[in-house]
Amino acid sequence: MKRREFFKASVAIGVSALTFNKLSAALSSNEIAVEATPDMVAVMGGAPAEMLQRALKEMGGIGKYVKKGQSVVIKPNIGWDKKPDFAANTNPDLVNELVKQCLRAGAKKVTVFDHTCDNWQKCYANSGIKAAVEAAGGNIVPANDESYYKTTTLPQGVKLKSTKIHQALLDADVWFNVPVLKHHGGANMSIAMKNYMGIVWDRPYFHNNDLQQCIADICTWQKKPVLNIVDAYRCMRKNGPQGRSVSDTSLLKAVIISPNIVAVDTAAVGLFNQVEKMDINVVEHIANGEKLKLGTQKLDTLKVKRIKL
Amino acid sequence: MKNYLKATRVALALVIFFPLIVYFCDFTHLTPGFLHHWAEIQLVPVVLAGSIGILISLLLLTFLFGRIYCSVICPLGILQDGIARFTQRGRKKQKSKKKRWYHYYKPYNWMRYSLLAICVIFLIFGIFTQSDYSTTLLLYLDPYSNFGRISANIFRPLVIEGNNLINWVALQMNNYHFYQLTIHTVTLASFLIALIALLLVGILALLHGRLFCNSICPVGSFLGLISRISLFRVRIDESKCTKCGVCSLACKSECIDSKENKIDYSRCVCCFNCLDRCKTKALHYDFAFPVTATSASRRTFLATSTAMLASIPLISTLAQDKKTVDYTKLTPITPPGSRNVKRFVEKCTACHLCITHCPMQVLKPAGFNFGFAYAFKPHLAYSTEHFCNYECTICSKICPNDAITEILPEEKKVTQIGIAQFERSRCVVFTNEHSCGACSEHCPVQAVKMEPYKDGLTIPHVYESLCIGCGGCESICPVRPVKAINILANAVHQTAEKPQEEEEKAVTKDLDFGF
Repeated sequence: MKRREFFKASVAIGVSALTFNKLSAALSSNEIAVEATPDMVAVMGGAPAEMLQRALKEMGGIGKYVKKGQSVVIKPNIGWDKKPDFAANTNPDLVNELVKQCLRAGAKKVTVFDHTCDNWQKCYANSGIKAAVEAAGGNIVPANDESYYKTTTLPQGVKLKSTKIHQALLDADVWFNVPVLKHHGGANMSIAMKNYMGIVWDRPYFHNNDLQQCIADICTWQKKPVLNIVDAYRCMRKNGPQGRSVSDTSLLKAVIISPNIVAVDTAAVGLFNQVEKMDINVVEHIANGEKLKLGTQKLDTLKVKRIKL
Repeated sequence: MKNYLKATRVALALVIFFPLIVYFCDFTHLTPGFLHHWAEIQLVPVVLAGSIGILISLLLLTFLFGRIYCSVICPLGILQDGIARFTQRGRKKQKSKKKRWYHYYKPYNWMRYSLLAICVIFLIFGIFTQSDYSTTLLLYLDPYSNFGRISANIFRPLVIEGNNLINWVALQMNNYHFYQLTIHTVTLASFLIALIALLLVGILALLHGRLFCNSICPVGSFLGLISRISLFRVRIDESKCTKCGVCSLACKSECIDSKENKIDYSRCVCCFNCLDRCKTKALHYDFAFPVTATSASRRTFLATSTAMLASIPLISTLAQDKKTVDYTKLTPITPPGSRNVKRFVEKCTACHLCITHCPMQVLKPAGFNFGFAYAFKPHLAYSTEHFCNYECTICSKICPNDAITEILPEEKKVTQIGIAQFERSRCVVFTNEHSCGACSEHCPVQAVKMEPYKDGLTIPHVYESLCIGCGGCESICPVRPVKAINILANAVHQTAEKPQEEEEKAVTKDLDFGF
């Protein structure tokens, strides 16, 4: 397709999209989903990479989120010096697949980091994520020093009005929030919203000033992730966020993805409740996030697609 | 004549020196682990660690070939040679020799043997009486420990700041291949003690070559006692000697008395610089037996030996008196593997090798806050991001003095170096009535558990028998300035209970989405 034709086609589709939403979908090529993309996709019963592939496909394909030449950040949970079996960190295979997809979609570069709790080099190595990212052609970058972080304001924050966020994320065009589903001693659950704590430098401030509110506040940062991808292949059902042994985990073989961060956390808590009891009301940051209009806990108002492989 | 002996000496010295200084300055932890063996052949560590085999080898080496150790193995000696060489270049160009080259002087026997005697006596009495001061003087005089402190507190920070500069430039170009490192392991006191040592050694090396080694260093004095009777030695062939005195100008130990045609073998460090300087080839390094010590040196030796013996009762009472340090008041937290504070104080000479290799930068040199005997020795200083990694045992692997004995990760995970003390009245859950749980989150053994408090809130509770004192909780506690959870040191390390393992709960087959 020549450039001019492409522009013409694009304009035509754009105009029609304004008026006839469904018609535009029908007019477009096969690569664009025929029906409107769901608000959330949950896939169960496969390997991490396989489930992610399917979920992304259902969400309209990676090309919908990553455009050619963009710089992408992937923010998994790499907080702990633990092997993948502990489910303390995001599954490396999942991260590997996501990096590959982003690069295939034409991303200029894919950067991965987390402000770790244990020694960063040990976390990056033992989580398997460093190897997974590098094998896929992405860059895993350090986040161990304050000099990597720049002050950013959060106008909508209630308790947290400004904080220092990692430079790589500030520079990125798009980013993916890729947490692992975990029990958490402090915040009760650690899922997508809690995963934001790995993009900031000063975490003690959160703990000192109403943790549950600060977690919701940091999620109001204007640059939202294009997708929240919850890794629930193996979940840590108790003694989180570190876990004592593999026996603290359960194999759920699930992935939940959505741009709606409150909804994705709500759904993940529902999934979690099948293996360990957790009242969503004590995971206060989810309700706090809803109050700040970050999303909805009412999953029945959303178009949710559930797939079993 | 090509001076092959000198060339070999320089080559061997570099093989010892460079790996060692690189190992000390390495902040990336990428240098191969076996390099710590370089530190294990240093004499004071050998004595303290009780490595009999290496000790005998070193003594034998000295008995056979003289103080080769001081020229080839001792990193501080090699550092001095480097400093001296730096200025020698300028000297060679200038014509007037007398002013600028070395001169023979008489040994400061009283000084060197007294220092050696005090070190030895404190050490021996320390072993029998378990004095805290057994290595206190040795700490300041041991060449290896001084080299370690100079490297760890002066050279290493320079390397790291250089890296940070490169990293900064790279970051401007969006390059993340380097990483920033903020130094937390150098204190003002440790920097100053290293700087004083560097200045002292450096200035002495500039002016008088190996004066430090021959008048202060207890290792040099000790080996000098053996090298007096070493089998191979530098000799002056009197039939060829013209007494021009060039050799004594070249001798950095300043031990060749060319007027008397005598060499003080207790001070000769076998650098072989003199050999090719002699125009008539009167100097040779060869086998010399039988050995005859000069009567004058024998007399001074006997005198100093008597003095040494006479001072024993005095020093022993000193050592006895200061023995009683009350560790219950302010006890440093010592690394897992050190077993107890007392043993650690006795064995550690503060070379700071463990400090440079601690990936968490939690090991820090102490000031005088834990008493004079503990000064400059490492202790665990918990602060944000700095605590003892659950899986790591690196300090126990590399300690050359055996002050930290090697332990396996399994042992380390149950070695209780201290116990967390929770102060509820300071906790944010109590004061602000908000969730926190940071301490529990960071506890690797689940010794700090969040237990129901009120209104769905949970508050920490410490299970002391599980706690290993790693400081994860203390490091992350957000309460300032005094934290709500702090580690209280165990003066004698204990064994914690193993965290209980549970069976993995099988996932029910009818697992669904649940939402």
